[in-house]
Amino acid sequence: MKENFLEIKDLKKSFGSGEARQDVLRGMDFTVAKGEFCVLLGPSGSGKSTLLNIIGGIDTPDSGYVSINGDKLEDMNEHQLTLYRRKHLGYVFQMYNLIPNLNVKENIEVGAYLSDKPLDVEEVITTLGLQDHKYKYPNQLSGGQQQRVSIGRAVVKNPDILMCDEPTGALDYKTSKEILSLIEDCNKKYGSTIIMVTHNEAIRYMADHVIKLRDGVVRHNDINDSKIPASELEW
Amino acid sequence: MRNPLIKRIPKELISDWHKYIVIIVFMVMMIGVISGMYVGHDSMLSSVYSNRDELDLEDGSFELNEKASQELLDDISTGDMADVRAYYISKGFEEADEKVAEAFGDLIDQEMYKDAVEEAYEEAHNEVVKTVDEEWEKISDRYNLDDEDFAPVPVTVYEHFYREEDEDYDLDGNTDANIRIYMSDSPVDRAVFNEGRCPETADEIAIDRMHADNVGVEIGDTIRVGDKSFTVVGLLSYVNYLTLHESNTDMMFDAFGFDVAMVTLEGFDSLSSRIHYSYAFEYVDSPEDKIEKADYSDRFLRSLITQTLVHDNEIEDYLPEYLRQASNFAVSDIEGDSAGSAILCYILIGVIAFIFAVTISNTIDRESTVIGTLRASGYSRAELVMHYMSMPFVVTVIGAVIGNILGYTAFKKIALNLYYNSYSLPSCGVVLSSTALIKTTLIPFLLMLCINLFVIIRKLRLSPLRFLRKDLASHKRKKAIRLPKWSFLRRFRIRILIQNLPNYLILIFGVIFIELMLCFAFGIPDSLDHYKDKAVEMMFADHQYMLMGSEDEDGNVITTSEETAERFSAVSLLYPKKRSSFRVGMGSGGDEGVTVYGIARDSSYISLGNDEDGVYISSAFSNKFSLKAGDAITLNEEYENKSYELKVSGIVDYDGGIAVFMNIDKFNETFDKDEDDFTGFFSRNEITDIDEQYIAREITPEDVTKVSNQLEHSVGGAMDVFKYALIVMTAALIYLLAKIIIEKNENSISMVKILGFENGEIAKLYIAPTAIVVTLFALISFVIGYYLMVWVFHAFILQMDGYLGFWMSRGSMILSVLYLLIGYAFVSVIDFIRIRKIPMDIALKNVD
Repeated sequence: MKENFLEIKDLKKSFGSGEARQDVLRGMDFTVAKGEFCVLLGPSGSGKSTLLNIIGGIDTPDSGYVSINGDKLEDMNEHQLTLYRRKHLGYVFQMYNLIPNLNVKENIEVGAYLSDKPLDVEEVITTLGLQDHKYKYPNQLSGGQQQRVSIGRAVVKNPDILMCDEPTGALDYKTSKEILSLIEDCNKKYGSTIIMVTHNEAIRYMADHVIKLRDGVVRHNDINDSKIPASELEW
Repeated sequence: MRNPLIKRIPKELISDWHKYIVIIVFMVMMIGVISGMYVGHDSMLSSVYSNRDELDLEDGSFELNEKASQELLDDISTGDMADVRAYYISKGFEEADEKVAEAFGDLIDQEMYKDAVEEAYEEAHNEVVKTVDEEWEKISDRYNLDDEDFAPVPVTVYEHFYREEDEDYDLDGNTDANIRIYMSDSPVDRAVFNEGRCPETADEIAIDRMHADNVGVEIGDTIRVGDKSFTVVGLLSYVNYLTLHESNTDMMFDAFGFDVAMVTLEGFDSLSSRIHYSYAFEYVDSPEDKIEKADYSDRFLRSLITQTLVHDNEIEDYLPEYLRQASNFAVSDIEGDSAGSAILCYILIGVIAFIFAVTISNTIDRESTVIGTLRASGYSRAELVMHYMSMPFVVTVIGAVIGNILGYTAFKKIALNLYYNSYSLPSCGVVLSSTALIKTTLIPFLLMLCINLFVIIRKLRLSPLRFLRKDLASHKRKKAIRLPKWSFLRRFRIRILIQNLPNYLILIFGVIFIELMLCFAFGIPDSLDHYKDKAVEMMFADHQYMLMGSEDEDGNVITTSEETAERFSAVSLLYPKKRSSFRVGMGSGGDEGVTVYGIARDSSYISLGNDEDGVYISSAFSNKFSLKAGDAITLNEEYENKSYELKVSGIVDYDGGIAVFMNIDKFNETFDKDEDDFTGFFSRNEITDIDEQYIAREITPEDVTKVSNQLEHSVGGAMDVFKYALIVMTAALIYLLAKIIIEKNENSISMVKILGFENGEIAKLYIAPTAIVVTLFALISFVIGYYLMVWVFHAFILQMDGYLGFWMSRGSMILSVLYLLIGYAFVSVIDFIRIRKIPMDIALKNVD
């Protein structure tokens, strides 16, 4: 049995008040083991992005808690939360959010700068297949290439947890599979715990752990014993 | 590892170089000019102060009616007060004795009348003592002569005689200026020679360098002084005449119509005008500060008054050096210049900092998701604040470094030349100025950093999530404003205008500032011209004569057969200024000199109202101190502890000076004058039948215009440079402001391009609202800028003596608005080019 790394306990979150109040998370419980590839699945409005933001320490729950390696986020002040994100997390968003006037290498260095144990930038660039583009600016790259850079920026930190919010949401089928393969490789090669939010059901098959959300609660919490490589996924 | 975000700074500087060049040039100009002013002024002040010691500047001077006896000079030197009471008693006894003797005639020596004579003497003496005691009580109180704590102020007195002659520098037979001539052997108030040498023969003369510059006299030229010709052998600067103030009450010096000169003893004797028995004095123990100087001066004056009186002489003039315009005006003006320009610099830097902050604020808006990602990845808020602060930091450093280099070199020379164009100053070397560094580098630096820091910290205080969601608005618009059924493009344009409202508010603020600058650029020369044009109208009469006294040598009242001549009386008093200004010192913050006129009833020159109780004040007086009918004013005697409370009954339209008018009867009553007493004549025609020796001076239109003439000459050249610099800055400011709006809308512009809008249509959508706002607010901003300038100018003129109102011609008013619009028209063209260059992929690549 793998050791629990991330623990979510009775997490609740709502937006608005009165009649407009919307309960996005209505008591959520689950755990994620270290090095696990965990997929949070659910339709729009199921609360998966909110959950990811709370785990990432950029949003706060109304009640319940998130604990990483035994440290509860609710006990941390803003500075400690920033340090937590800096030392432990890597973020990949649906939009790449690259810095327009820094080239590929420099954008990846932006991540490396934050880490005490960064990976070798050149190695990451090679792993991501960006060696021919490392001096290009974001506006000279395709969407897929930009997302690779964004993954590189997150991975180069050598984070304990890689948070991916719909990383293939804006990409075509082929590129999406390439990106998923890259994330899979990072999980294997660097041992990062991956938490990926997606509404693409097919991605569940490449994950170690699948959590299905609906209406703010966990509907299914399954361990996938027969996962397949990203390259073999079909949708 | 070095923060890789630093690499953005040079890239940002290069990619947006035209914006940063504008800002850097702006800062270099401001910092450079002000730094140059400070370095120039510090260098000049250091030279002036060292000359004060080296050239033995007096501590004060006085002029007597007659040459002082050695005994009087010795007594004055002690600084002690004379026993005026004993003097009057002794004088009274003499007169009484004479009268008694006269009354008794030959009988006085007869034995039988001995008792009667003695009794008469005693009675007469008692009467004298009684009268003197009564009078003594009055005057001792007035002059504070009974002061038991009085401590004498010993002085060393030097003869410092001068003559005043007419100067004809172009040898055309007409008098061009009044020249004050001193002897070359004076032990005090000596001069430095900027060019040439000291006169050595009776027909050689050295004249003031500034005057010579102004009127075009050079070494080797011949000028006529009185009825004698002199060769100019030197151009000098007297330590007590840094500015050519003819009289200490002159609002402004006059380097055209007044000159000071040095001749040899023989040269001095060869002149024929009367000698002014002027004496300079130096305190034996130097006073330490201004307060002590005032106290010394006050005590010395009491000694001077009493000693002169008991030695049967009269004081014509008394002036302690610390109140002397001619030696202090330049110093306080130089200091004031810098203070004024520094404030202008801070305002401009503040505006630039504000524009910079708005630009950064827009960049933060644009980079919102990147910031969210960086924050989510672990970048702290402080790191991002530092990052966004680095651009203003780098730009300010570049501006400050280049500005300072120029300040110590090119601009310093400009500042010094400006001073040399105005004042009779000695030459000077460069002094490294720490105040320049603090005021032109540190303060703008802090100003720039504080304003930007404030805006950036406020902007970055939001959570990473809000940045990721681009949810940056502090308050959300609840409902879209409904618009009438106009055409689509019109509604679209209105929507853009509403959406950009905060940016337009910034634009309006900028436009107001621009108009203030333009009002400054056009209004100052206009005000000077206007004053000059109105000067002739400002004269009460074509000819105005001030007499030495109302009686001639034989005691007869001076009269004239000129029919249009009308007597008037005048005294000079002081109006206490509010001392809240940042400039203090004579000529810049001391009491205001007021001329009080006593006007004949039914005067054909000045018409006063019917109010017999009150007085009328000149419009200049009213405007300068915001006085109106019904107000009470207090005027003080300059050298006496005497005040006059007057009620203002009305305003006389006279901008030529700070003056009070009252009818002659009230004047005589107020100032305790005899009915026949008067000071001079107003006349339409020249008066030819009064001997010149009785005429102290004739006031001409040139006397009134010398304020504006000199101001114009001093600042004229700089004013033109300043005017064009301000116009360039105006265009630069509009450019920056308009750029902010286009930058802010880049994404939307890119999107409408994708949708198929043509560049012309886009221009109509995004440039037209700006054009409408600029045009609409050009007028309103002009009005606001104009009134701001009136206020600023009034505050400035309050620091000076006399009055000059801010005035702008209609043409200048139109030009002020037009320049803004023309500037904006150019910027619109640049905007249009900018819009054409915005690529469509901006919108595509930033959509989420």
